[in-house]
Amino acid sequence: MQVFIAQILNGLSIGSVYVLLVTGFNLLLLVAMIIHFSYPQVVVFSMYIIWLVLKMTNNNLLLGILAGVSSAVLFNFISAPLFQKIMKNREEVDINATMVLSMAIGWIITDVLSHAFNNGLPIQFPEEITGSRPLFRIGLISILPGQVWALSIGIIVVSGFFILLYKTKAGRAFRAIAEDPAGARLVGIPLVKTGFQSYALSGVLGGLTAVLLAMLFHSASPGLGEQVSHKVLAVSIVAGLGNLTGGLVVGLALGILEALVQGYISGNWSNAIAFVVMLIVIMVKPKGLFGMKV
Amino acid sequence: MKKLVIATLLVLMAVSFGFGQTNVVVSEWRVPFLNSLTGSIAAIGEFLQWGANYAADEINAAGGIAGKPVKVVPVDTALDPQKGSVEMARVVKDSLVAMGPVPEPVIMAAMPIAVENQMVSITATTSYEYASQFFPWTVSWFPPTLDRLPPLVVAWAKQFGDMKQVVQFIEPYGPWPGMADAHSKALKSLNIKEQKAIEVPTDAVTFGPLVVRALDQNPDGVILVCNAEKAAKIIKELKSRGWSKMNHILVFSSADDAQLYSTGGMDLNGVQVYNYLNLDISNPRWDKFKAEFAKAHNGNMPFSLSPNYYDALYMIKEAIEKTGVTGDPKKLKEERKKIADYIANVKGFKGLLFDWDMKDGVPTNKPTYIFEIQNGKKQLVLEVKQ
Amino acid sequence: MPLSLYYYLSITAVNILMSWALYVPYRMTQLHFITIANMMISGYLAGYLVLHVHVPFVCALLIGFVVGGIIGYVVSLFIGDAPTFAVVIVGFTFIYITRTIVENLSIVGGTMGMFGLPNIGGNPVAHRWIILGILYGLVVLCGFLIYRFDHSSIGRAASAIFVDKELASSLGIDIKKLGMLVQTFSCTLAGGVGVLYGFIYKSFHLDFFGFALIGVYMTVLFVGGYSTQWGPLIAAPILYGVPLFFPPAVQSWRIVIYGVMLILVLVLKPEGFITRKSVYSIGLALSRKREKVIRS
Repeated sequence: MQVFIAQILNGLSIGSVYVLLVTGFNLLLLVAMIIHFSYPQVVVFSMYIIWLVLKMTNNNLLLGILAGVSSAVLFNFISAPLFQKIMKNREEVDINATMVLSMAIGWIITDVLSHAFNNGLPIQFPEEITGSRPLFRIGLISILPGQVWALSIGIIVVSGFFILLYKTKAGRAFRAIAEDPAGARLVGIPLVKTGFQSYALSGVLGGLTAVLLAMLFHSASPGLGEQVSHKVLAVSIVAGLGNLTGGLVVGLALGILEALVQGYISGNWSNAIAFVVMLIVIMVKPKGLFGMKV
Repeated sequence: MKKLVIATLLVLMAVSFGFGQTNVVVSEWRVPFLNSLTGSIAAIGEFLQWGANYAADEINAAGGIAGKPVKVVPVDTALDPQKGSVEMARVVKDSLVAMGPVPEPVIMAAMPIAVENQMVSITATTSYEYASQFFPWTVSWFPPTLDRLPPLVVAWAKQFGDMKQVVQFIEPYGPWPGMADAHSKALKSLNIKEQKAIEVPTDAVTFGPLVVRALDQNPDGVILVCNAEKAAKIIKELKSRGWSKMNHILVFSSADDAQLYSTGGMDLNGVQVYNYLNLDISNPRWDKFKAEFAKAHNGNMPFSLSPNYYDALYMIKEAIEKTGVTGDPKKLKEERKKIADYIANVKGFKGLLFDWDMKDGVPTNKPTYIFEIQNGKKQLVLEVKQ
Repeated sequence: MPLSLYYYLSITAVNILMSWALYVPYRMTQLHFITIANMMISGYLAGYLVLHVHVPFVCALLIGFVVGGIIGYVVSLFIGDAPTFAVVIVGFTFIYITRTIVENLSIVGGTMGMFGLPNIGGNPVAHRWIILGILYGLVVLCGFLIYRFDHSSIGRAASAIFVDKELASSLGIDIKKLGMLVQTFSCTLAGGVGVLYGFIYKSFHLDFFGFALIGVYMTVLFVGGYSTQWGPLIAAPILYGVPLFFPPAVQSWRIVIYGVMLILVLVLKPEGFITRKSVYSIGLALSRKREKVIRS
């Protein structure tokens, strides 16, 4: 039983990574109609910025977090217009074209990180940010501070964004601009201002996710984003594109599934099994378990 | 009489020097090095290249190869078999000898081209099992895995009387499962029970489930056969779940590189690792290499494979000088063969760290070591003879 | 023929064929990445048959095509009309499954790979000419078939699906049937190309078929142009060839250059460099010239 509990907690820990990344992915979709396949790479880029600032400022945590968030916001401001130009060209949300664009952005980020930071070697975050000692440990059950932060903030963030997007005027404005800019303009929504706010919002989440992943992983490498990007895409599709609640549930479920497969069946087969399960779900429910929100 | 001997020696030296000088037809020896300078292992490619370039500078400062300067020509294969094959096809056209490729997928795509064209390309970072497929057009830098690893694991396990059960973490990449098999052979010979191996997915980012599964089997020892970053993270995870016998963790040689230390930090204290590279050895060449390497790499000491292509270039130098190869394009085939024959059975080769012999392309007397990591540095525990 | 030219030509042919294997299903918006898994499955199978069962290469190649086709057909029964993202996930799933199976299958070399595939035709020169002959024969054959497809009613049906799936369905187009056809074609092609790919290198390694290949073929497809078969045909040799001549300093930023180029193309030339319109214009210009010549 102890092992089972430990594996469930491990699963929640992996799942919280997916939840954070999928929430950012979905948020971009909801507020800017961007399908950002390489969103995890953008988050990893922010992790590197945090590391750099921490190093330069002798581990000033506040400045590190601010730098991470700012870099993610800035990245959004630079990349979002590209996505929108493509969508304007195609006159629709086109998963293929945006996926290719996103893939190209992912290549650039990964390559720049491996060229320009730490000689391409993995970076290590200081204990001030990671908290290396477990909060508690009973036998094999161990919980690290990063795991608690990642999961709890993941849930809070999903709830917060859900309320913001669906229960507030500002949220409706974000979605209106994303879905129909011309219509939004007609009803008096300031396009530029709201557009900037939406990019900033999703950027803030990207930066926060970078901080949380730094706490959870304690390190990062240029290839980290690529390692999880397929699963993030799969989770968002299985949950239903743009469905925040679905992303939360499916992200955690995938984490638990992976932990149980690795813990009881086979490490090598964990990816294959996870994808087969997701594939079956997609076959049965093509619009996702929780339905699309776009 | 004494004068006569000296005069004779001087004449002989002059003749042999003149012989070497007049025969060499190239103005510069160009040695292409097919390396992964971009892509996910670019950091490793950089320090391999650094070692080769450093050797070239040293050789040139000392008069070159048979009196002519040598230039290592970097050829980036970008970890891409498609690029690696076409680059090797270009290299085999007129090169006398080459170095690389790096790593295994590119070796498999490009080395058959070197073999077909009967040109030596020294693959100094891969295992015997890969290199031997391309003999005699490369040599192995390591003895067969099943011969070289069991003594190391035996020596590690024998340090501790309490080791009854061991678990291995194995990542499915290239020769690594084969290396894990060699570890198993050692454990079997000591009647140590090997528990169900823990498979490490190549794209794993967290290691809790794997470590819990391993610890649930109550092992006394752990052997890590996965890449450096993953090994460091598994060690951290083991520690956070209460593992305290740090020297009962053995890291295999392929994970003994910079990523292990940069990711593992102080959590590696006490962990043991086996390797050929011994930073504690002191000789003028190696000391200078270490100092220059540190200068060029933010104070870091040479990583696991750093001297391999330094030695490879010196081996090429020795082969050219000892066989009287001239670099004449008309004799390309014949001279390539001479180099292959020479390096396959070189005797008393003066490597950066130690001298070694080759027998039919396989090193016969390279020492190996077990170290313990303390504060990011390796301390020698014991030397293991093959 | 210079050896480097042989490798350049043969790998270019592989890239053209595999980009076409993506192009055909993409005519109805499906990104069929299962083709990468097909390459791997058929390639390893053929390698095993030739090395260990001593099956003649031609038979092994045919088996590779057939196995690719069977897998494509069976899968298409389920995803013939599936939306793009479902097809993408199917592709990822098959790649993961196939990699895991190969990793654990010692008879095909497991993680080490498969060495020593023999020369077809007995010697290296014959081997090269046979491989090139088959590859470019396939380029011509597939080029012809795809041309016929593009200019047939089913090609127009695929175009209709690309523009509006629901409208196409209401016009009576059987989306599933068409999806099954294009998916089976692309998987059959990928199976055979996978065999040839390994025989170019005379070895197989799992990383010959990594996710990076998706990037290569997607770049060829989208930079060249996804709306006509000429796009991949022209982009594949350029995108593979030009970087080979980059100076070392530029070489190390090759991936960034690729990325920037792809972004620029998507933004500035959304349909890629070769579009149907440009093909039509060239065709028109050529036919006018021909008319002029005939009249004079």
